[in-house]
This record gives sequence, C-alpha cells and structure tokens, in this order.
Amino acid sequence: MNYSLHNTVLFVENLSVAYDDRVVIKNINFEEKNVVIDGRTTGQTIAIVGRSGRGKSTLFKALTGLVQPTAGSVLIADTTRSDINAAKAVKEGDVGFVDQKYTLFRNKTISQTFEFALRHKNMSKAEKNDLIKTYLDSWGLEKFKDQYPCELSGGQRQRTAIIEQILSSGHYMVLDEPFSGLDVGNIESVKKSFRLITTQHDLNTVIFSTHDIELAVELADSIYVIGYPTLNGNIADYGTIVKHIDLKKMGLAWSEFDSQHLQLVKEIKEAMLQS
Amino acid sequence: MKKFFTPFEKLSTAQLAVINGSWVAALFLFWYIFGMASDTHLFPTLGQVWEGFLGLYNEGLVVHVFSSVWLCLRAIFISIFISLFISYLSPIPLLQFVSKTVSKLRYLPLTGITFYLAMMINSGRTMQIWVLVIFMSTYLTTSLIGMIKDIPQEEFDHARTLKCNRWEVLLQVVILGRVDYVLEIIRQNLAIVWMMLVTVESILVASGGLGFLIKNSDKFMNHGRIVALQLVILACGLLIDFALVKTRTVLFRYSKI
Ligand SMILES: Nc1ncnc2c1ncn2[C@@H]1O[C@H](COP(=O)(O)OP(=O)(O)OP(=O)(O)O)[C@@H](O)[C@H]1O
Ligand SMILES: [Mg+2]
Repeated sequence: MNYSLHNTVLFVENLSVAYDDRVVIKNINFEEKNVVIDGRTTGQTIAIVGRSGRGKSTLFKALTGLVQPTAGSVLIADTTRSDINAAKAVKEGDVGFVDQKYTLFRNKTISQTFEFALRHKNMSKAEKNDLIKTYLDSWGLEKFKDQYPCELSGGQRQRTAIIEQILSSGHYMVLDEPFSGLDVGNIESVKKSFRLITTQHDLNTVIFSTHDIELAVELADSIYVIGYPTLNGNIADYGTIVKHIDLKKMGLAWSEFDSQHLQLVKEIKEAMLQS
Repeated sequence: MKKFFTPFEKLSTAQLAVINGSWVAALFLFWYIFGMASDTHLFPTLGQVWEGFLGLYNEGLVVHVFSSVWLCLRAIFISIFISLFISYLSPIPLLQFVSKTVSKLRYLPLTGITFYLAMMINSGRTMQIWVLVIFMSTYLTTSLIGMIKDIPQEEFDHARTLKCNRWEVLLQVVILGRVDYVLEIIRQNLAIVWMMLVTVESILVASGGLGFLIKNSDKFMNHGRIVALQLVILACGLLIDFALVKTRTVLFRYSKI
C-alpha cells in the first residue's frame, strides 16, 4: 500500500526513568510520524513488546506524563496550534491510558464512569447518552451498566476501562496489555476498537504492549522491542529499545497475516530472548 | 465433627448456629455455677444482675442511655468534621505537617487537656464533649491519613489520565471515592469513644449519663447493679456499631471492605 509520512506525532528523546536511584529504562529514542494514505484515514498503531520487567509499563507511564523522566523528554503533536509541526511536552491528561490492572473509579457504575469520561466533551446530554448506549451495546456491557467495578468480571472491567479512555482521550491512547485475560470474542472487540480509533482521525495513535507477539505483528504498523541491551558482551540491567520493526516499510502493515508475518514473529521472539 | 476443628473450613449456617448457641449456653452455665459456688459473691448471680437491672430501669436507665448516646453522637459529629477537614488537606505538601501533628497528639495525657479545658469551659456537659472531641479527632485523623495513604497509586493515575486536575483527583479519588471508608473508620474508633465517654462521664460528673450511673453504683458496692450496667453499656456500643455497618452497606453497595 502506498503511504507517505508527514509531521511527527510522537518524539521520544533520550528518555530515562529511575525509581529512587534505580534506573529502570534508559536512552530510549524513537520517532513516529503521521502516516498518510491517500483516500483513507489512517492513524498509527504502535506495539511495544519485551519480556516481563523490562520496563514496558514504566515507559508507558512516561509516555502518558504520569511519571517525570529523570532525563530526556516525550513530545506529542500540539493540535491546539495551527502550525502543523507544533509539538509540546506530554503532561498528565494529554494521553489516555488503560493500565495493566484496569483501574476504575470504585464508586461509579459503568454508566456513571462513561458520563464522567465525557464530562469535558462539547456534546448535548442526549448525544452523550446515545454515544454511551452505542458503546454499551457493541461491547456487550448493556446488561451491566448499573453495576460497580467490584461486581464485574475481569474482562468486563477491562472493556469498561478501555471505553472510558476512548471517550475521554484526544488523539493518543496507551494501553498496557489490553489483550491479557480476554476471551476470543473480547479480543475481537478490542481489535475492532483499535481499527475504529485509527480510522477516525489521521492523528489518532494507539500504543499498546502485549505478550502475544502474533497479535502485535497482526495489528501494529510499528513494533519496538524493549529489553536489556548487551554492552561489551555484558547484559545491562536497564531496559531500552533493542529492535525496531517498521511493518509499513516491509509492506506488512494493514495486510492479512501470512507467512511473512510469521517469519517476523520468530525474529521478534529471538530478539526478546536475547534481551 | 472433624470439620469443626479444621482451619478455614466453611460450615453451613445451621452448623454455625449450633456452635455459637453452645458457646452462649456454656457461658451462662459457667456464670451460674460460678455464682453458686463462690461464697464470697465476688461475682453476682444472674438473679442479682436482673435485680440490678430492674433497679436501674426504675431510676430512669433509658433516659441515661439516651443522654450518653446523644453525647457520643455530638462528639463524633464534631470530631469527624474536624478530622475530615484536616486529613483531606493532608495531600497538600504545605499542610502535611498539620495532619501529622494532630495525629501525634493522641499520645497526650487526658488530665492535662481537662485541666486547660476546665479553665475555659464551665458547663460540665460541654466540657465532656470537648474532651471527647479532642481525643476522637486525633484518632480519627490518624485513621483517615492511613486510609489516604493506602489508596493505590493506580487510582490517582487513573483519575489523572481522565483529565482530572489535582483538586479533582482529591475530590474523586479521596473524598467521593472513599466516603464509605469514613463510616468504617468511625465504627472502628467508636469503641475508643464509647469507652472514653463512660470514663469521662464518671470523672467530670454532669447531669446523668451511663458514666454517672456507674459512679453511683460503685459507691454502694452493688455488684449486680454494676454488672447489669456493664452489660447495658456493652449492648449500646454494639448496637451503634451494628447501625454503622448497616448504614454503610445499605448506602454504598460497592462497599466491600
Ligand atoms: N513503582 C516502582 N517502584 C520501584 N520499582 C519499580 C516500580 N514500578 C516498576 N518497578 C521496577 O521497574 C522494572 C520494570 O517494571 P515494569 O512494570 O515497567 O515492567 P514491564 O515490562 O511492564 O513488566 P510486565 O511485562 O511484567 O508487566 C521492574 O524491575 C520493577 O521492579
Ligand atoms: Mg507491565
């Protein structure tokens, strides 16, 4: 598919995060540009993979502005300015985030949660209700709309957390392991929601982590492997990006999963095992 | 039968009823035998307790109970108000010192406080309330600060990603998100107030109250009366406790603490 790259949507420069002196991730650099395909709206789908404890969640907290990096910066497109290349440092609230534990407000039912997520949106009450209804129906939550998080199953909580962020966030959305613990049907609805987000606006960018490499290869157009780098024959004890795969360049993005994808899965797993 | 002795074994409601019933029966049996056997009558018999209870009832026990409960409620109300104010502001760096200090004040001795209060307040009843309020506030503040500390970071982060500014985070996560905990904290500290209340009432004697009754019974060395009164006080405390749990679970369906 013919595509072109425009302005930068995400720029991570020399990023390091430490928790009380312990460096968890270091020297993370990457840049993602707005992918443009003529005749259709295409957002960006970025996957972060890596073995447990390598710092995926930590990277996400920095990307969402929830933790202050010890060094470096995260820049996102500033859509409030007319200049197409305007960028700004990310701060809390700019980027939607579904955390690994699907945290929700314990004292809000699903409906109340969604209403809260929409509170800043410029829509009439009726429009908001319609939108909420649509999501409840298509994600199979209609029956549970008046239940509290403690009365929901893990998968229902997760879907609520995802929709909540879709409703509230702007162009950016980070999801930490959105596929873990879901049944086949739920996985399809999360996949569908990714497609929905990325076809709504050119700038929309979904960043997710997963331990399911097949899924990452199937969905993403750009994959980063985060792991411990090997320096002078020694394995370091902080995470950084050890491999980047641009599926667009390889011609594997936005296409059916085939043998080439499978080959890529093997390659990524190899890289993960070595870091 | 072996199940009765197995740790973490779940028994049916009927089985539990049998076990608990036997305990209560054993308790009364023990009391009965002990009361019979001891000639010193150090411990009153059931009959003596019943007599004591009737005596108390005729002297207006109900009025005294209400007087104490009312005092207790007023003290709780004022002190929870103070403690909530102090602890809700504790996440603000500038004010952290205040909440921590108030919490530490619970190690102050009671006598010193009453001395200063006595110089400022002359009504016995008001004095009792303020002694309780000062005490309660320190304990409640301690528990409330602990409650805020125990909120997982993810809950704050979750609110922040939903475009809540820091004040909204405080409102949504701490204040609204934990109302039910406040009731639970009151309940957990209730035992201290209730115990303190009776003591305070018997030290700073004003008109009536359960503490006043205890003090009077002491004078006459009337064992039956004292035990009856103890039981009444225990029952009142348990009743308020129960009411608080019920209120919490009815008002807040999600409250599974
Ligand atoms: N709040 C924290 N304080 C101190 N250390 C932390 C904290 N959070 C994470 N870490 C450490 O940082 C490292 C990376 O953790 P992180 O949660 O980012 O890993 P991850 O790649 O998301 O792992 P997983 O796939 O298991 O979720 C771990 O070694 C962890 O012990
Ligand atoms: Mg993680």
